[in-house]
Amino acid sequence: MIELKDISYSYEGEMALRDINLTIDRGEAIVLLGANGSGKSTLLKLLNGIISPDKGTYQWNGQEITAKMLQKPAFAKQFHQKIGFVFQNSDTQLFCATVYDEIAFGPRQMGMDEPQVKERVEDCLALLGLGGFEERQPYHLSGGEKRKIAIACVLALNPEVLVLDEPMNGLDPRTVRFLSELLVRLNDAGKTLITSTHRLELVREISSRAVLFQENHSIAADRHTSEILGDIELLKQTNLVDEYYHAP
Amino acid sequence: MTLRSEQHGKSMPRWMLADEDYVPATDKDSFVNRSILGLMEVLSLVRSQSSRAADRFSASAPVKVLGTLLLVVLTAMTRSEIFLITVITYLLLQLSVMRAGEISSVLKLSFGAAAFTAILLLPAVFLIEGYSPVRICAKLFATVMAVNLLSRTTRWDHIAGALKYVRIPDLFIFVLDSTIKYILLLGEFSLEQLQALKLRSVGKNRSKYTALSGVAGTLFLRSVEMAEEMHSAMECRGFTGEYRVIQTVRFGTADILHLTIHIGLLVFFIFLSRG
Repeated sequence: MIELKDISYSYEGEMALRDINLTIDRGEAIVLLGANGSGKSTLLKLLNGIISPDKGTYQWNGQEITAKMLQKPAFAKQFHQKIGFVFQNSDTQLFCATVYDEIAFGPRQMGMDEPQVKERVEDCLALLGLGGFEERQPYHLSGGEKRKIAIACVLALNPEVLVLDEPMNGLDPRTVRFLSELLVRLNDAGKTLITSTHRLELVREISSRAVLFQENHSIAADRHTSEILGDIELLKQTNLVDEYYHAP
Repeated sequence: MTLRSEQHGKSMPRWMLADEDYVPATDKDSFVNRSILGLMEVLSLVRSQSSRAADRFSASAPVKVLGTLLLVVLTAMTRSEIFLITVITYLLLQLSVMRAGEISSVLKLSFGAAAFTAILLLPAVFLIEGYSPVRICAKLFATVMAVNLLSRTTRWDHIAGALKYVRIPDLFIFVLDSTIKYILLLGEFSLEQLQALKLRSVGKNRSKYTALSGVAGTLFLRSVEMAEEMHSAMECRGFTGEYRVIQTVRFGTADILHLTIHIGLLVFFIFLSRG
């Protein structure tokens, strides 16, 4: 479904991704692990077509995704419907006056009639446990509620792939539990999940495969989640486990 | 391999289990794309400014700020074409050692400002006999170029700090410093907002401007929130309204050369004014 070959990307001369080779199949649930600044978020942006690689190729269902292709509105819109992105900062994603309008934004653009839009909004709100939030203003919600609304907005588009950038950051334990369980259910329902995180305690639950980034912005390992979590030396090398902090 | 949920049996909406058979309708969203590109350019400029390791003309920021101020004042006051030509020649010489992209960008801005002034002065040319807008346009050309040269060869935080030497109140410098910082922070925030809007615009948006005004509204709320947080943080750190700028100034050969040229221009200005 997704194939990255020798991808490199740099921000104003500073390397952010180095020779990335990655294949993701339909229905997989993978996590991108890595210390701060290792390139996880950059890779997620690249997967969503926000940035284009300096070197290498990105293929989506056999078709190469290039900056030129993404400049074609019809192609870009279809591509963005298929791959949904939940930003790390939910505030950047919410801009409508009410929660209802926020979730209805995508389905309305897809040309659905209002009863269909209403059905999607209500389903998404129920799925996220936010029934009764329709008329609330997104900006005045709590951090956890905003994150849930941001996810609901993306789910309303019914994408094949759900890309989440640090979705559990700054959330209370109950919300974290709720969201990780939701991610598992979405994967059960056939959605491909690509999640970046450095919360190791959740990784086993929300993924079957882990891709580990090292601090030089390349991939250090791409294996079964349990294998990666069992390799403490590798986790130490990649700055995901600290000898003092994680001491038994 | 998919994961198995403890709540596996829990129902998911039917539409979510099926693939979306969707062909987007045609729509124009060049405004969002242009805004994203514009913002990226501004952010890249601010970032390259703040990451500049050393000033290329190597004179210290206070000397350059004082020199530029002197040039701007003298250019505004002069009635002599010879002085104007001398100043422009000096500035063009400085410009000639910069990178090609920077030269073209400074020249574009300077000529643009001069051309705009020429258009504004056009009625005077027809209404007042013998009036020539050339001098004012040349003055503007020189002033814009001098300020641009300063901004492109000196880090903005250094410029703000150097204002201390021209007796600008500390609080003003603090506001200037904060403004530069928040241009970057809020710029990055609004860039992400526009990118999110673009990613969610998967079809025909009949109310583009409503979405954009929502983006602007969120940005405003965010800036208020950040200002309030900063106010509280400053109070917690014991800020009482007094902001001290401490800058160690080295004084080298380049500073002496810079000062000599500017003093020379001042002497030349006085000489021409008396003549």
